[in-house]
Amino acid sequence: MVNKILILSIITLLGLVSCVEKQNFDQLDDLFIEPTIEGSILYVEAPEDVFNQPIVGGSVSQDFNFDGFNEDIFADRVLEGSIIYEIENTTSKELDLTVEFLDEAKLILDTMYIHVDPGPTATVEKEVAYGGASGKNIEIIKNTSSIRVHVQNLGDNTSVSNLPDPKIIFRSMGEFTMRIR
Amino acid sequence: MRSWAIILLILLTSNVPLLAQNKQLLYDFTEIPDALMVNPGMLTDYQWYAGLPVVSGLSIQAGSNALTVHDLFADDGEDFNDKVREKAIDRMGIRDELSGTFQTHLLNAGFRGRNPDNFYSFGIYTEGDAIGYWFKDLAILAFEGNAPHLGRRFNLDHLKARSEMVNVFHFGLNKRIHKKLTVGARAKIYSSVFHASSTKNSGYFVTTEGENNLRANTLVADMEFRSSGLDEIKDALDDNENTSLSEVLSRRMFFGGDLGLGVDLGFTYHLNERTLLTGSLLDLGFIYNTTDVKNYSLNGAATVEGIEFILPEAFSNLNDDLWQELIEEVESLIPYENNTKSYLSFRPTKLYGSLRYNFGKPMPSRGRCDCKDLVFGRQRFKDFNNAVGGQLYVINRPRGPQAALTAFYLRRFGHALAVKATYTVDKFSFSNIGLGLSLQAGPVNLYVMADNLLAYGNVADSHYASFQFGLNIISWGKK
Repeated sequence: MVNKILILSIITLLGLVSCVEKQNFDQLDDLFIEPTIEGSILYVEAPEDVFNQPIVGGSVSQDFNFDGFNEDIFADRVLEGSIIYEIENTTSKELDLTVEFLDEAKLILDTMYIHVDPGPTATVEKEVAYGGASGKNIEIIKNTSSIRVHVQNLGDNTSVSNLPDPKIIFRSMGEFTMRIR
Repeated sequence: MRSWAIILLILLTSNVPLLAQNKQLLYDFTEIPDALMVNPGMLTDYQWYAGLPVVSGLSIQAGSNALTVHDLFADDGEDFNDKVREKAIDRMGIRDELSGTFQTHLLNAGFRGRNPDNFYSFGIYTEGDAIGYWFKDLAILAFEGNAPHLGRRFNLDHLKARSEMVNVFHFGLNKRIHKKLTVGARAKIYSSVFHASSTKNSGYFVTTEGENNLRANTLVADMEFRSSGLDEIKDALDDNENTSLSEVLSRRMFFGGDLGLGVDLGFTYHLNERTLLTGSLLDLGFIYNTTDVKNYSLNGAATVEGIEFILPEAFSNLNDDLWQELIEEVESLIPYENNTKSYLSFRPTKLYGSLRYNFGKPMPSRGRCDCKDLVFGRQRFKDFNNAVGGQLYVINRPRGPQAALTAFYLRRFGHALAVKATYTVDKFSFSNIGLGLSLQAGPVNLYVMADNLLAYGNVADSHYASFQFGLNIISWGKK
């Protein structure tokens, strides 16, 4: 009997001295996971010869299917971000470059212009923000299904730059903040 | 009887944490028959014993060596996201783990053979075990993304996790070879309820400046997830099939799941009258997973710099869907595959060892006197009412062996009460003090064990805790 009381006492004591400070598991609702991801979008390269070919004439235009933005895994979670363009022109041509974002019905959602002087020029960079307080409507990005790139030659069709391997290079990348939770 | 009911009630309703795969309190606690499960070569003097089904041999453990519930969920007014960042993302490393184990005996009994040197034990127990290591790089990638980490390799081998539930059918022999040496072995048949593991992952994800475009994202992956039995359970939970969860569990627990074989080995050796060396190797076994198998793998390498359109070569394929081509190229370079191939999984093998010194007053034997012992001079060494010693525990884990060192003191108060106190050092705690009580009331043996008692001041702030409980009927035979 003494032993039973001893056991009971120890266990009761354990039960009494053990305690749990107040925990608030509702805090889990406050957890937000918002990573910023980045990756290249489109790379276009055209040598000066292209603009001197009669078949091309004064401009080059191409539509690119790009479903990365309207995939559910992206479109449902993206909050804000920006697209960064970088154009490098070593041709002898003065160029106007237009980038258009199109939806599935090929309707233009957004247009971006960049004027590029003949080479040698410094690299032209441009950043366009979407979402947030000052950016364009993020819905543009969510609904973009293809990208049209149009390069208009404002110069002649015969001159050749004396720079080695003259070409125009269009680079682009996106950097977006997503809400995972 | 009423007091036992109260004890049970307290145990079941108190906030004692039911949180140790390491059964340092139970190990070599020879008053308790369940201790045979952690050393089949333990000294035994019982004539027979029987554990109370389900209740006997109950042990539950949970541990997180780097983070406590209190660290994150304390009602302290701090921003929860800051706490997650400071205490988990920034502080935790890839060897930090969250693990849990439970074990309960459905049947556990033993009897002495005609040859009194042989003691047989048998039974069935259910065991669940899960461990996940902190996937540090993947967590940083999820919380921060790749943008702030240009050039950083996010290692995929940070993902290591394993879980399983098995029902174990066992039969063991404990044999006294001579006065100094007792050995034991136990054969086991495993009936796996489910198994899931993703432990052999390698590779990395890195974002760098591109060769052509502004960024290059590179994935080099060799990842694998293997499972068996999960879909059946999931379907039962989703009620997609006309099978209840209890039906699935009971079928897979009793030879309807994946089967395996294993063995436990152990010994006790008297270095002299008072000093004992013991050791055991548990769950040296495997399970062959053949039913409801689902394996997934991701193996390959690819670097992406977006869509590339290079003139004049591109004039020949102006109408091609370059996006789709890019997707297909990546998928061919890093194929995501699944299959239902059977596979072997190995049990988490455990090793125990101890050195024990007995002292104090000799204890009278409870065992049956065997005249052959007198004739052949094979009497047992005497027991004493005090013992001190040290124990070693090692378990095979996905990131390699994990060890614990224990110092213990055992005190017997007659044959009715025995108390074992332990101090254990392992990756979870340097201040783990445990206490185990074994009470013998007539033929009824009851034991209760709990460790990391210093953490009971605030259980939520504990890195580790375990609880064990058992109820057995023991007979030492007629003297």
